[in-house]
Amino acid sequence: MRLVLAGTTVAALAAAPASAFAVDYLSLEEAQRLMFPDADHFDSREIALDATQLQALDAQGIRGRSARWTVRIARHGDATLGVVVADAVIGKFELISYAVGIDGDGAIRQIEILSYRESHGGEIRLPAWRRQFVGKTQAAPLRVGDDIANISGATLSCTHVTEGVRRIVAVVALARRNGSLP
Amino acid sequence: MKFHRLRVAAACVAASAALLAAPANAQSASEIELARRLDQLAAELASVKAELARMQRERASATAAAAAASAPAAVAASPAVVASPVVASESQAQGSGIALGPSTVLTSYGEIHYNRPTHDSSKAVADLTRFVLGLQHRFDEKTKLVTELEVEHAVSSSSDPGEVEIEQAFIERQLARQWTLRAGLFLIPAGLLNENHEPTAFYGVERNFVETAIIPSTWREGGLQVVGSFDNGVTTQLGVTTGFDLTKWDATSNEGRESPLGAIHQELALAKARDLSVFGAVNWRGVPGLLVGGSVFTGGATHGQATTSSRVTLWDVHTRYTPGRWDLSALYSRGTISNTAAFNTPLVGSASLVPASFDGWYGQAAFRLWSRGDLSLAPFVRWEEFNTARSFASLGTGLTPDAAPTERVITVGANFNVGPGIVFKADYQRFRVSSDADRFNLGMGWSF
Repeated sequence: MRLVLAGTTVAALAAAPASAFAVDYLSLEEAQRLMFPDADHFDSREIALDATQLQALDAQGIRGRSARWTVRIARHGDATLGVVVADAVIGKFELISYAVGIDGDGAIRQIEILSYRESHGGEIRLPAWRRQFVGKTQAAPLRVGDDIANISGATLSCTHVTEGVRRIVAVVALARRNGSLP
Repeated sequence: MKFHRLRVAAACVAASAALLAAPANAQSASEIELARRLDQLAAELASVKAELARMQRERASATAAAAAASAPAAVAASPAVVASPVVASESQAQGSGIALGPSTVLTSYGEIHYNRPTHDSSKAVADLTRFVLGLQHRFDEKTKLVTELEVEHAVSSSSDPGEVEIEQAFIERQLARQWTLRAGLFLIPAGLLNENHEPTAFYGVERNFVETAIIPSTWREGGLQVVGSFDNGVTTQLGVTTGFDLTKWDATSNEGRESPLGAIHQELALAKARDLSVFGAVNWRGVPGLLVGGSVFTGGATHGQATTSSRVTLWDVHTRYTPGRWDLSALYSRGTISNTAAFNTPLVGSASLVPASFDGWYGQAAFRLWSRGDLSLAPFVRWEEFNTARSFASLGTGLTPDAAPTERVITVGANFNVGPGIVFKADYQRFRVSSDADRFNLGMGWSF
């Protein structure tokens, strides 16, 4: 019995893909192409929030955290399809890198996890969990335990990524209102 | 090359300045031309400034890299938020452009309890139940060390009740996109609590009885483990580890009655290792908010030091569902120890013999009743039934011990969270069999 189960473990190891790599699941370039497959190019733009705008975010219960954000604008010819913003938050102990794709109408198009390094809680990569964000706008609560379901065993990762997405949606909406983004 | 470019740019600036300083020419120094030259000058100045800034960054990076080489362990000051949403270039995975964060992270959790029996307040106790320091160090983007050092009951000495324990100490290596290998002392993936045992992760001051008396949380073994995570929501964990030591069963102690496996676990402290154990766990999280899973652990427990061989097997099935403000969970676990008759025969008449089986289940419902900002209040109720000696192997008429009565406990209380890292708790527990143990509990805990 011991030998059989130990053998199973070894077989499972052997069945793993041969190429070893880190827990970086996507590069930002891959993620933005996944989010906007029709885009023929992406323009990078720095947006800077002033003190008034950061205070406006704070009033919404969102910590602005940074005044400067890099936004990639997805374009097809002259048409703007949407934007992609990459960010990183602490999960439980380590950084989770992720990217948020937002359509021209401010609705979330897609969430992609770029890297995850925690020993537990990697299930936030699951498509079913990420799909909960699709179509939500700044008007949505975007809170775990409200409109976003938690993942048992990954509570902090879920909470912090959801907070990060809420912040990005608000920052992009603010930048669009003040004309910094198309 | 860089200095050459800088010199060229500087020459352009000087030439432009000289041009501006030249005597005005009525035909060429019109206002439009002057504005054009000013624009040109401004652009060239910006170019020089950018070049200078880039060189300064490169110099700073080289200095930082030299410093990092001599002192690679940069302890994170706070894991709460990262300083910038823009990926930090100095801590990127090679070639990926993705931030790694600090290579060494200090973590902690702990809890302080106050237990007051309602029928005998003279037995009330206050205790720093546990204080844990964790150190994680990432060697590279694929390999890290995870450790936890725990002190229980505040003071550990020959005349104090405390213990000092290593709770986890393992190396984790990412093998591939979906496969991870762990080696060392790690938590066994059994039930809902064992791997997620921080006070902020469970309801009630004390951990539930089923996952302490039946599943001996915090239960760890030394060995190898392979973790597979798949896009369909399935996570599998398989491993080979040390196991239990039945030969350390103390029939004169009540410890085995409280937790059969808690009395014979080894925790990798000079663990007898002739007989290895194997385990497997499968958890499915394919629907957001839902977890369904189970685990099994089995292995020899006598290590060639008893006349007969015994095998310990423990399995569980569990589920947790968190729709909206609700947090619902249920678990059943059962353990067996084989060939206990020969082991128990010489112990007849002692306080506690080795049970052949033990089991328990619980159902729990919590509801986030109130929240404001980072504060939230979640009342909960939990019903538990467990039996640490469900059956004994037959020793013959008059000698076989009676099965223990099944204890039933209802716990009613609330968790008050201050952000994700701090919790205050209060609850009341009522016992159906050991009614003298009815008690009121207060607690506080932290985790980061």
